[in-house]
Amino acid sequence: MSFLTTSHLSRYFDLSEPWLVRKIKGQPKKLLKAVDEVNIGVERGQTYALVGESGSGKSTIAMMVAGLLKPSSGTVLFNGDNFFNPSLGKIKRMSMRKSVQMIFQSPYASLNPRWKVGDILKEPIKAFSLIEDETNQINRVCELLEQVGLSPRDMLKYPHEFSGGQRQRICIARALASKPEIIICDEPTSALDVSVQAQVLNLLKDLQQAFSLTYLFISHDLAVVSTMANKIGVLKQGILVEEATPSKLFLRPEHDYTKMLLSAAPDISNASRI
Amino acid sequence: MTSKPVKPLLEIQNLDVTLKNRDSYFKALDDLSFNVLPGEILGLVGESGAGKSMTGSAILGLIEPPLFISKGKIIFKGKRIEENAISVRGSMISMIFQDPLVSLNPLRKIGDQLVETIRTHINIDKAEAITYAKNLLEEVGIDRERFNAYPHTFSGGMRQRVVIALALAPNPSLIIADEPTSALDVSVQALILALLKRLCKERGTSIILITHDMGVIAETTDRVAVLYSGRLSEIGKTSEVLNSPKHPYTQGLIAATPRIDADSLKTKLYQIPGTMPDLSEIPDGCPFHQRCSKSIPKCSENNPPLLYDRASCWLLEKESV
Amino acid sequence: MIRTFLESDLYHNFKHTPVAVISLGIFLLIALMAIFANIIAPHTPFEPSTLNLMNGFTPPMHPNDFTGDVFLMGTDNQGRDLFSTILYGSRISLFVGIMAVLLSMTLGVTLGLIAGFVGGWIDTLIMRFADIQITFPSILIAMLIYGVAKGLLPPDMRYEMSITVLIISIGLSEWVPFARTVRGSTLIEREKEYVISAKMLGLTPLQIMRRHILPNILSPVLVIATITFALAIITEATLSFLGVGVPTTKPSLGTLIRIGQDFLFSGEWWILLFPAVTLLMLALSINLFGDWLRDMLNPKLK
Repeated sequence: MSFLTTSHLSRYFDLSEPWLVRKIKGQPKKLLKAVDEVNIGVERGQTYALVGESGSGKSTIAMMVAGLLKPSSGTVLFNGDNFFNPSLGKIKRMSMRKSVQMIFQSPYASLNPRWKVGDILKEPIKAFSLIEDETNQINRVCELLEQVGLSPRDMLKYPHEFSGGQRQRICIARALASKPEIIICDEPTSALDVSVQAQVLNLLKDLQQAFSLTYLFISHDLAVVSTMANKIGVLKQGILVEEATPSKLFLRPEHDYTKMLLSAAPDISNASRI
Repeated sequence: MTSKPVKPLLEIQNLDVTLKNRDSYFKALDDLSFNVLPGEILGLVGESGAGKSMTGSAILGLIEPPLFISKGKIIFKGKRIEENAISVRGSMISMIFQDPLVSLNPLRKIGDQLVETIRTHINIDKAEAITYAKNLLEEVGIDRERFNAYPHTFSGGMRQRVVIALALAPNPSLIIADEPTSALDVSVQALILALLKRLCKERGTSIILITHDMGVIAETTDRVAVLYSGRLSEIGKTSEVLNSPKHPYTQGLIAATPRIDADSLKTKLYQIPGTMPDLSEIPDGCPFHQRCSKSIPKCSENNPPLLYDRASCWLLEKESV
Repeated sequence: MIRTFLESDLYHNFKHTPVAVISLGIFLLIALMAIFANIIAPHTPFEPSTLNLMNGFTPPMHPNDFTGDVFLMGTDNQGRDLFSTILYGSRISLFVGIMAVLLSMTLGVTLGLIAGFVGGWIDTLIMRFADIQITFPSILIAMLIYGVAKGLLPPDMRYEMSITVLIISIGLSEWVPFARTVRGSTLIEREKEYVISAKMLGLTPLQIMRRHILPNILSPVLVIATITFALAIITEATLSFLGVGVPTTKPSLGTLIRIGQDFLFSGEWWILLFPAVTLLMLALSINLFGDWLRDMLNPKLK
């Protein structure tokens, strides 16, 4: 069995009008199937990319995998454990939290602007009671900063003193702090400039090797995905329409939607075409 | 290649835009010069803070304190416009923004907004303006019947089409499109870019396409200007710049752009070290020299001018010798 | 810390905005004089033994006909030095204002945070209650609470508790603007990724609200606190003017104005004028400073 599996994962959002209005107008309930019966399996140490346009449900899946949103039906299992299993003990739940972390799209909103970087990185260490001793906590923060290519001196600065790419590095360091097994990357570079994007993507690759991390990589950008993923799932309006390895997906796409996405994606290699 | 040189539609000559912050002055645009030829799509590409949008604002006369134009000329159809009021540019230059909702009034029907824009610029009666507006909608790929619809009933891509119709209404000779597709899905983006290309060809309108996306540049533009720290790093035909870039920054930018390729998983992307400096921290000499792997001593001393009408880099000088 | 403040845009703008400098200056002047009233004031107006009834109704800067004493702002009917009473009165007004603001701020911020972060029926409950309260003028609410509290207290405690009751009634009448603003800001902050990542750490809602959201919503709270402070001082003055506020033995500015009002038409104008002008300066300087602060901290106006 894969390290992370989702089976028949679905999430509906209730878009119907208030109960009374509905009764008066005689309307049925209106449900939006944001995610509909999605089954994926992610192997340990690999990168699985979910690709889709807006409204494809990729971020909803990310939130459910992260245990922040309860699925309407279906399950998410990490090594057989489920966040929403009511009989899951508190200790077990905390250890699951520790092993599943997330990095986000916006490097501006993902760091608390009032906290120093050192405190931001210390928070997961304290929350999971990983290191009790103050000096060792600071040593760990230094280590984390170095792992993401920042200087230990940066821990005394505030987030606004950093550029977008550096902030994304801080977010990665925070995700690494609890020594997770899987990191959900929700559009981690789509707010960054090209040269910075390359730095962050390379960093993610290096860290994956160093700590044998598993990534669930969410993106709308097929070019970015092609540099990262071992396996790609294409989502369209909540349904997984195609799942394949990059070589197969890019060379012999099967679903029409995948073909359309591939032909529509602007590609720098096409300059000679003009 | 034509034998006689084409007269440019827009010339920007040695333009400086300065930012005044308390008592310090920073150059946001530094000695920027380029031309836009009639009927071409010129791409302005660069990272955030490189001065792409500011160039657009300068052309439109939208530079406001604490920014001001401190040097240079903007010549449009042979007339200097950099100090004139926006109204002088009026109907000749239109703008398309990233967010279509900026340009659309949510409380008014799109037809009314179009007719109003048409009648402020062109002296025709209302019935004619309505026909003209409907024709415009058809031209950008929207059903004539939706003339009386409100903006919120359109999808993002359709709204951007309405904005393009609004931009076309005065029949401008130049459209500045600032990241027109960055908020859209790739499938919609492809359609909007195709529309812009078609309009450019059919109407002979010039377009300045401001974007950060090298892929969009590759697929849409005739020529491209690469900006870095408010300076022009490289300019030229898109295919030449992308296939044989002369400036190390352009080279790095192209190498760092991911490509859709089954094999790219195995290799790492090329990465330019560091980030673009803030306005207050731009080094002496070439603004890129600290991140440049090919820099020579001269680079940190003097800021290179645009050499061979192609790239601002001292290495080009060496190459030719 | 101080250096960062001195280099900040806020301080830079402050230095270059005369209205802000002057209004803060006036406020600090009144506040400091009130705080050090027992040192500055030439008389102790609430010590009956030091009063001389012969000094009653002495006009400002004019020797008394009988005793020859000169008073800066004149005296009232009982011969109390007005300058001294104003200093002591400002002290009470400021104290009541500050305490009332602290109370309404604590209440409003807490309720607003809970409403915004928890949402659902708790949000509806709190905000509907706020809607109902705001339809009544706050002075009415304050009087209502004041009346109920006075009725509930045993008669012998009414006198000593009157300032506390006043603070509570003003405080309870002003929490709605805090709650509304805080709820709005919380709704924005709680969707931000730094809050989501705090949830990923398994923090409790209370920890997230206190450690992450609260520090990020304080700047609008500061602005409202300033404006509410001025409002609270005026409400206190109004209540005291109506005779339901502080006891006459410890007069606040409002009480002084009420006393002065009795003598306005018999020619002793100074008894009303000086306390009224002090109240005006106090409220105006706080309001102008608050306006400047709002302009600075509101990103929409920047």
